Amino acid sequence: MIEVQHLSKRYGPVTAVNDVSFRVEKGEILGFLGPNGAGKTSTMRVLTGYMPPTEGTAIVAGYDVLEQPLEAKRRTGYLPETPPLYPDMRVRDYLTFVAKIKGVPRNQVKARVDVTMEKTRVADMARRQCGALSKGYRQRVGLAQALLHDPDVLILDEPTAGLDPKQIIETRQLIKELAGSHTIILSTHILPEVSQTCQRVVIINKGRVVAVDTPDNLTAKLRGSEAMYVQVDAQGADATQVIQQVPGVMSVRSADGQGGLEVASEAGRDIRRGLAAAVVTRGWGLLELRPMRMSLEEVFLQLTTDDTAAAAPAGEDLHA
Amino acid sequence: MRNVMAIAQKEIKAYFDSPIAYVFIGFFALLFGYFFVALLSAFTTQSMQMMMQGGGSMNVNQQLISPLFLNTSVIILFVLPSITMRTYAEEKRSGTIELLLTSPLTDVEIILGKFFGAMTLYAALLAVTLIHIGTLFIFGKPEIWPVVTSYLGLLLMGGCFVSLGLLISSLTKNQIVAAMVTFAVFLLLWVIDWISQFTGPTTQQVLMYVSITQHLDDFTRGVLDTKHLVYYASFIGFGLFLTTRSVDSERWRG
Ligand SMILES: Nc1ncnc2c1ncn2[C@@H]1O[C@H](COP(=O)(O)OP(=O)(O)O)[C@@H](O)[C@H]1O
Ligand SMILES: [Mg+2]
Repeated sequence: MIEVQHLSKRYGPVTAVNDVSFRVEKGEILGFLGPNGAGKTSTMRVLTGYMPPTEGTAIVAGYDVLEQPLEAKRRTGYLPETPPLYPDMRVRDYLTFVAKIKGVPRNQVKARVDVTMEKTRVADMARRQCGALSKGYRQRVGLAQALLHDPDVLILDEPTAGLDPKQIIETRQLIKELAGSHTIILSTHILPEVSQTCQRVVIINKGRVVAVDTPDNLTAKLRGSEAMYVQVDAQGADATQVIQQVPGVMSVRSADGQGGLEVASEAGRDIRRGLAAAVVTRGWGLLELRPMRMSLEEVFLQLTTDDTAAAAPAGEDLHA
Repeated sequence: MRNVMAIAQKEIKAYFDSPIAYVFIGFFALLFGYFFVALLSAFTTQSMQMMMQGGGSMNVNQQLISPLFLNTSVIILFVLPSITMRTYAEEKRSGTIELLLTSPLTDVEIILGKFFGAMTLYAALLAVTLIHIGTLFIFGKPEIWPVVTSYLGLLLMGGCFVSLGLLISSLTKNQIVAAMVTFAVFLLLWVIDWISQFTGPTTQQVLMYVSITQHLDDFTRGVLDTKHLVYYASFIGFGLFLTTRSVDSERWRG
């Protein structure tokens, strides 16, 4: 349904998107995950025909966005980062206007506006001016605007940004309901969003794709080699060498620069017994031994940050 | 065509939903009314004098209506920049331009929609003056033809200003900057008129042809010259064309 090949976007000297390729199948929800400035918005703006790519091609709903922009746009709904509302217009008037310019047939405009307002739960605000809406409603009217012409493809740029937790849950629910009949790309810099809504994730950083997989696989892959945090009182000897010999251990490296070691092992193999025995038989002290679990947050951080930024706190809102 | 209409309607709604339209119409009516009264009283004094001296009556069209419309062009100079300033600048600032540019619309449809939207408000301004001109018909017997051509001329001249205003608005995110620059350019085009009077005959010809307001002269005297029609039509067309180029290049720059 969406095919992006070797897409690049440069703003003068700034490369915002660098050789990005990915596919989205029909009915799929793809999460587009990356910190601020990763190039999510730029990619989406190319996909929606807002601006042309510097290099590469994008095919949306069967049409090249450069070659046949009108055909592609007819089949695409887009919610930009800030919902594109006219503050002086009333919600119903606004949606009617959008329906017209999206090419909804004249005799279906009213029905489509009604159905969409119902679906996005903005019907009770129909007569309110867009500028007087709360953030949550603004976002929903933005979503309604993207859905009006029942597009094959939906491109949502940070659809839950700035919403309160209740609104976030509602919006996610709505997006899930839309999958199936629509192919959806949604961008976010918040992790739980992806694991809860998306079937597949493209992680992007500094304009490059760093990983493409399902949320489960991504965590599993990085956890594939189980990691242990080990702290040993080796009385001056080199513990790394010894631990390396323990059956099942794949690699040992310093975890924190204070004597702690990160010991990676083959998946599904418990090395704790062997490791403890090796340490104790040498008369060393085993100060700490605990599994290092990587949450999706850490996966994300590991993939997207370089060493200098690795100390950045991982949290619900990484780059707010 | 439906798309052009949809955009034009949206623009008109935006003008009339906010106080802008009413402020402009009020301001315009006030200034026009002032010119009207001033010119009318001068006209009546003069024609009284002429009658007392036993001369014939003066021509309402030539002595009153024509100068009145020429003065109107000055008011338009002040009012139109504030009408066109928001057309693009505001869409860019608020991000609604993303809606327009990602909808299945061509640039030309968007620009024409905005052009006709602004022209409708401008026509509404001109419609106010029908009241004043109407009274002249009640109390006197002016010729109707020069009045018709005057309005046509004013519409076309306004069209030039609107297309220029759209172009300038498409170049910035800031409405105020758009208004100031537009006003400065209008003023320049207007000043060319005077300058032309102090130059040699050849330069004068050229400058007079360039000047937007010069071409209005014949219209107010009931003369429909293709030279002027061509000038106005190509000015408008060229302005709108440059606006499409400006919007397109903005796209490539991002
Ligand atoms: N219009 C623009 N002009 C110049 N640079 C831009 C423009 N838009 C975005 N950028 C730059 O491109 C990079 C990617 O930005 P963006 O696509 O907005 O990322 P994201 O949406 O992931 O936060 C950033 O470094 C940003 O500063
Ligand atoms: Mg963004």
